[in-house]
Amino acid sequence: MSRRVLGVLGVSLAIVVGSLFAGPALEGEHAPFVLWQLRVPRLLVGMLVGAMLSLAGASFQIVFNNPLATPSTVGTLAGATLGALAALAFGIEPEVAGLPITTLAAFAGALSASLLVAAVASSGRARMGDVLLAGIAVSLAASAIATGVQYVADSRALFAASRWSLGQLPQVGYRGVGVLSPAVVLTSAVLLGQTRALGSLVLGEDAAHAQGVHVPRLRALVLGAASLGVATCVAWCGPIAFVGLIVPHLVRLAVGPGVRLLLPMSMVVGAAFLAFCDALARSIVPGRELPVGVLTAALGAPALILLMARQRA
Amino acid sequence: MSGLSVSALWVRARGRAILSDLSFELGPGELLALVGPNGAGKTTLLRTVLGLVRPESGSVLVAGRAVATLSSRERAAELGWLPQARSIADPIPALEVVAAARYRFRESRRTAEAKALAALERLGIAHFAERPITELSGGERQRVLLAALIAQEARIALLDEPGSHLDPAQQLEVYRLIGSLWRSGLTVLVVTHDINLLGALGAEERVRVLGLDHGRAAFQTSLADPEFPNLLGALFGIEFVSTSAGRRRVLVPVFAEGERAS
Repeated sequence: MSRRVLGVLGVSLAIVVGSLFAGPALEGEHAPFVLWQLRVPRLLVGMLVGAMLSLAGASFQIVFNNPLATPSTVGTLAGATLGALAALAFGIEPEVAGLPITTLAAFAGALSASLLVAAVASSGRARMGDVLLAGIAVSLAASAIATGVQYVADSRALFAASRWSLGQLPQVGYRGVGVLSPAVVLTSAVLLGQTRALGSLVLGEDAAHAQGVHVPRLRALVLGAASLGVATCVAWCGPIAFVGLIVPHLVRLAVGPGVRLLLPMSMVVGAAFLAFCDALARSIVPGRELPVGVLTAALGAPALILLMARQRA
Repeated sequence: MSGLSVSALWVRARGRAILSDLSFELGPGELLALVGPNGAGKTTLLRTVLGLVRPESGSVLVAGRAVATLSSRERAAELGWLPQARSIADPIPALEVVAAARYRFRESRRTAEAKALAALERLGIAHFAERPITELSGGERQRVLLAALIAQEARIALLDEPGSHLDPAQQLEVYRLIGSLWRSGLTVLVVTHDINLLGALGAEERVRVLGLDHGRAAFQTSLADPEFPNLLGALFGIEFVSTSAGRRRVLVPVFAEGERAS
């Protein structure tokens, strides 16, 4: 393994461990509870979400052959937002089967929006540009409907919806880990299993076809699996901006563009990046927490620009 | 052994016929050059053979089987493709680009990379292995893509203007390479404008040429045919004179004195 890869792994591990000690010192009789029931589960959820969003972002950037593709390029975010908003506005039961109705509705919205786009993608005739446009169209349509829902919703629902849209990691106990782990494991198994096929896309879809890749099936697999994972994350934590866009680019700059390292390293760096942002979010202003999405954007954007500038120099 | 058989092929796009009733045979180990004006349907023909374009009617048989009925991997075992020069955005090492062409073999990464290195060695460019593909010159890149084609071990190579965007020395080098691959048993279908480089492929009488005009076969002959300059002139609507360089015939487009830039 190259020294660069080892370096990235080491830094990521240090960040993950260090983030447990961010914030007020762990002392007194509540220390074990704070550590094991608050910080550790929150860290694990953050790592799962960061890894999932980054892996999905990296896969989408390859499949769409577009450096600006993000986990929500296929309408995931707009669908989730519409679902959450509709549940907050019209939801009767607060919980169904032990899960918040907001979460379930966001999941349903995210999955149906992105599977709709994945269906377009799996048609052999669609060019990848068409799929991007379909993603934009589905997103816009979902946003338009969401605006309609906002118009009839009461102010309490609107406030809750805007809170939801900031993204959040806090939790007590391990339920989030239990909900997210299966989806993340399944999705990453599928996506990492397609590494070779994704590697063939370097020369374009047609060249991959000529090399024996069933391109429509690859698209459907990648979009379908990633949508499942991302929908679960967004439903549980709300939208967390920038991670899925930026982390794959950071990884490319650090260890190179090859797909074989890009996918797993995006998961590692994504997990560490979100852990780091969350540690800052809960310790930067004493006694208050910032939404983690603010930190991911505030840190991610300059980091990307800085690395790109160094690369060009 | 594997050959290619195209019969009564019609391809239409937006009501316009791109290929009209096109038929030809390419036996195992043969080489056929497709020439014709831009827009004649040469690239579309290659894409149809690959199954990227669906024909309206007619058939494309590879090793006796309709190409549409082959699985992706079966097709890749028969047909390899060198696409027209295109830009590659990612600085992927050459070895990785070549190794990706081993997809159909379901083998370990280690084996794929060893085979990829062997393909690079065969073309004398093993020293490119670690170089990012984006940093290679046009001719170097074309040789890497040819190495990928070799690594895929397909029986028939579909080459789309392998010499475009290359300087004359690189063009000659690429055509010599293609010629040596052909002589070692590869079946080749090559789309080209580089008529005078066809002689670099091998014996003139064995180099077959198919002239394509508005999707129709205008002529099928061999490079050695004395009538070839006239057929070519009629195809492009200009006049060619043939002169000789050593034993090779060279075709030069003729222009009248008045056309010369003043």
